[in-house]
Amino acid sequence: MTAAIIVGLLVAGGVYLVLQPGLIRVTIGFVMIGHALNSLLVAAGGMGWRAVSFIGTSEPDQAADPLPQAFALTAIVITFGITVYLLGLARSGADDVPEEEPPT
Amino acid sequence: MILAFALAALATTAVIAPGLARRLGRNTGYPIAAVFLIVGGLIASQASGVLAGGTVAVDWAWMPSIGVDFRLHLDGVSLLFASLVLGVGSLILAYCPRYLEDNERHGRFYALLTLFATSMLGLVFARDLLLLVVFWEMTTISSFLLIGGTGRKSSLPATRAFVVTAAGGLSLLAAVILMSLAAGTTNISVIMDDPSRVIDSPQAPVIAVLVIVAAFTKSAQLPFHFWLPDAMVAITPVSAYLHAATLVKGGIYLLMRFSPLFAESALWTATLMSVGLVTAVYGAAIALKQHDLKSLLAYSTVSQLGFLIALVGVGTPEALAAAALHTFAHALFKATLFMLVGIIDREAGSRDVRELGGLRRVMPVTATLTGLAAMSMAGIPPFIGFVSKEEAFDSLLDAPGADWTGWLAAGTAVAAAGLTFAYGFRIFYGAFAGPTTQRGLYEPRPSFLAPAAIPAGLGLLFGLSVGILSPLINRTVKDTMLTDVDATLSLWHGISTTLVLSMVTILTGLLLFFLREPVDRLLYRHQFPATGAKVFDAAYGGALRLGEWTGAPTRASGIAAHIAWPLGALLVIGVTGVALWPDVAPPALPTTRPEDWAVVGVLAAAILALCLAKSRLTAIVLLGVVGFVVGIWFLIAGAPDLAITQLLVEILTVVVAVLVLRRLPPVFRQVRRSRTLATAAIAVASGLVAGAATFLLTGRRERSPAAGYLMSEAEEDSGGRNVVNTVLVDFRGLDTLGEVTVLAIAGLGLIALLRGTRTPETAGRDDSSLPPSDREGNMVIFQVASRLLLPGIAAVSAYLLLRGHYMPGGGFIAALVAGVAVAVVQLPHGLDRPPRLQAIPLIQSGLALAVLVGALGLLEGSFLRPMRGYLSIGAADLSLSSSLVFDLGIFLVVLGMTVAAIERLSRGVAEASHRPGPERVLELHGGDQR
Repeated sequence: MTAAIIVGLLVAGGVYLVLQPGLIRVTIGFVMIGHALNSLLVAAGGMGWRAVSFIGTSEPDQAADPLPQAFALTAIVITFGITVYLLGLARSGADDVPEEEPPT
Repeated sequence: MILAFALAALATTAVIAPGLARRLGRNTGYPIAAVFLIVGGLIASQASGVLAGGTVAVDWAWMPSIGVDFRLHLDGVSLLFASLVLGVGSLILAYCPRYLEDNERHGRFYALLTLFATSMLGLVFARDLLLLVVFWEMTTISSFLLIGGTGRKSSLPATRAFVVTAAGGLSLLAAVILMSLAAGTTNISVIMDDPSRVIDSPQAPVIAVLVIVAAFTKSAQLPFHFWLPDAMVAITPVSAYLHAATLVKGGIYLLMRFSPLFAESALWTATLMSVGLVTAVYGAAIALKQHDLKSLLAYSTVSQLGFLIALVGVGTPEALAAAALHTFAHALFKATLFMLVGIIDREAGSRDVRELGGLRRVMPVTATLTGLAAMSMAGIPPFIGFVSKEEAFDSLLDAPGADWTGWLAAGTAVAAAGLTFAYGFRIFYGAFAGPTTQRGLYEPRPSFLAPAAIPAGLGLLFGLSVGILSPLINRTVKDTMLTDVDATLSLWHGISTTLVLSMVTILTGLLLFFLREPVDRLLYRHQFPATGAKVFDAAYGGALRLGEWTGAPTRASGIAAHIAWPLGALLVIGVTGVALWPDVAPPALPTTRPEDWAVVGVLAAAILALCLAKSRLTAIVLLGVVGFVVGIWFLIAGAPDLAITQLLVEILTVVVAVLVLRRLPPVFRQVRRSRTLATAAIAVASGLVAGAATFLLTGRRERSPAAGYLMSEAEEDSGGRNVVNTVLVDFRGLDTLGEVTVLAIAGLGLIALLRGTRTPETAGRDDSSLPPSDREGNMVIFQVASRLLLPGIAAVSAYLLLRGHYMPGGGFIAALVAGVAVAVVQLPHGLDRPPRLQAIPLIQSGLALAVLVGALGLLEGSFLRPMRGYLSIGAADLSLSSSLVFDLGIFLVVLGMTVAAIERLSRGVAEASHRPGPERVLELHGGDQR
């Protein structure tokens, strides 16, 4: 239930920001949508098991599912890569494009 | 072999034509005409064998896997059309040198004209369906380029001609595909050996219609006829060659070629006869209205092509013989007339019959030649046009079906021929009879007249001794009907029904000519409400507007306009899915714990504040808060590696974002309230859908078998106890390698993106956004602190990398920690100190290392399979795995990407501090930024 609320909150905020003018807010929105999807990945493992997935530390039948966690880990770093690239775009002047219909 | 040589010779000529033209200027036409004659002679050397019933063929493997070969073939039909392509072609090329202007460049024109001749010859030789389509399209393209070559005013007509005939080409392609599916081969010879496989297939009517559409577009039949009169904007040699003698005969050739398949079909006969005859009468009537001699000839061509198509449609051997003979006759007289109109245009400066008159006194030879060609066209004995028309009437009378259809067809043909007679007379009378309006004109040079004189004379000669064409015509009929015939052509048939019809034709023509004033009044009273060209333009414009309308969303400059479409589509899918609310199992275990609600509460507040934030810096700080809360959420969800990664990424994101913010105005752009409300509505809906979907689709099954397996077997398999890390580097190493590659690309992309970028001027810039003047002084504490921190951070990073297999850590996390170190060192220095770590070598070595370790795994059986060993140092047993080296590769790539981000994005800050404009102001204030 709380996982769903967290994903919903992050998606709502992310979508709102992504639809704003200007690359910075779009980038922030993108980061938040990334958070939402990473949370969804973790939630997909099942929020009923929350012990760390270390062998010898947790009981195997209590531990959280490590597979979606591994997916989410690389996804976080990739999100960072893309965030940096978007910021580079904003820095290179792509953010200065006036938002209006092109002359026809 | 000779056929392939003929094509190769023409193609080579086309290639060298521009070079020749640079040397010879407009006279390039003569050597090219000689090439045409030589190639024609080569083909003619095969004629006796072909006429005796043999064929000449070439068969080279082309695409053997689909059974398509480069097959050429010379039979009667090919020979007839090849003689037109090469014979008329050589005349036209000999005509060009005197017609073209002396002091212009003609290389392109000669190259295209020869290319067209090559494709036309290829079309009539092609013995493979696919090859036929290729050459058909080549004629379309070269025709487009030749029409469009005369400047701006010709672009629309060229486009019309191209779109109409290219649509026909698509239709032909469809027909060819269906035909080859039905017959199981693209070899035309094989298809003709057993035509029943196509004829009896269920697709036969569709194939017939598609072939007919292709032929009608090429041969300018109603309702596609309009492109041909339009195409008269091309120069006269092009009109004479393409749009009278050869290109437009492509449709006739196609119908003749496929006659054996469809001649028995009522659909084929009815369509070809009705459309052909209606076009014949329509074209002739419109031709009568024209004042421009070239337009007149164009409509005349439309009409004559209709006549030919009707004859092919009759489908009897006699009708095909008449069609073949008339194709030949038409090429002779129509090419002549076009060339003569070109001569009149050049000499008298006009081709409008209202401005011309009495030219017979000043240009008697031209007048005589025009008279010869016009009489052949009008069907007056003893010209070849008379013989072909007699044959045509005869075969139309004998058309299959009820008696009245034959009479109706012949009657319509007589009407068309009567109109033809009338406009033939008008050409002659309008230009040459009456008072001489232009006195200072002279006969053109013999070299200008000769190319027109030859076919004009041939029209008479072949009429008188038409019997010598009988073998060619008979052979053509044999190919088109697959039956032997023995039609003996002759000028005089004795008193017969057709002779009466011919007399009626001539009388009608004379009557129309003498009553030309009332006829004109009648013709001008009845205007068609819509012309083909107007309908085409409307459809063409509509298609362009539709494309523009469809593509409009992709041309928006704002980002939101692009993102809104996929978001909206997802929302529709999501709302539909949630509205159905599937019947799902209850959660296996309770999924909510009390501490979760704290996370939810902080997160909601932070997100709300973030969405409302006006200042960029506030927004970035709040983004950091959101990221930290998400990190905590991962921690309480039992994912410490994720939590650490998340926190580190959040730190670096904030650092990098702040670097960029320095270049931008401090506050966000204002947004209209209506837009804010709309986006808020979309956002809330998206959030609800995403939340509902997450609620429905997660936590409702037992623990996954993968989790069970990994938790129990991972240590055995990989030697690691941190299962998440073993998944990354051992179990799913290839995934990780792919993801690391994405990061490498992001880093390199960033470097390329910001290579040598000058910082753009930003509207909202003011002094407050510039770095403080005495940066050095401000930075001392930071610099000292960074020097103190660096060794510690580096050690932590190395430790995290090494222990990753057993405890939270690993390549990703270690690299992000090292990235923080880089940021701490780099930030207080800017460009004053070049970065010690270079991004590109890091990324390169990291990827190379990862791939190398993967390749080593091949020794153990598969790519990226880890190799393990144990090292005993003293009492401690250290388990070593090659996956540690792989993790080192990940570390290097991620670090390289981070270095690239910090270095490139901080460069803007340093650059700004070196910029002359604002800094001079600072200097005035006593600042010294060094």
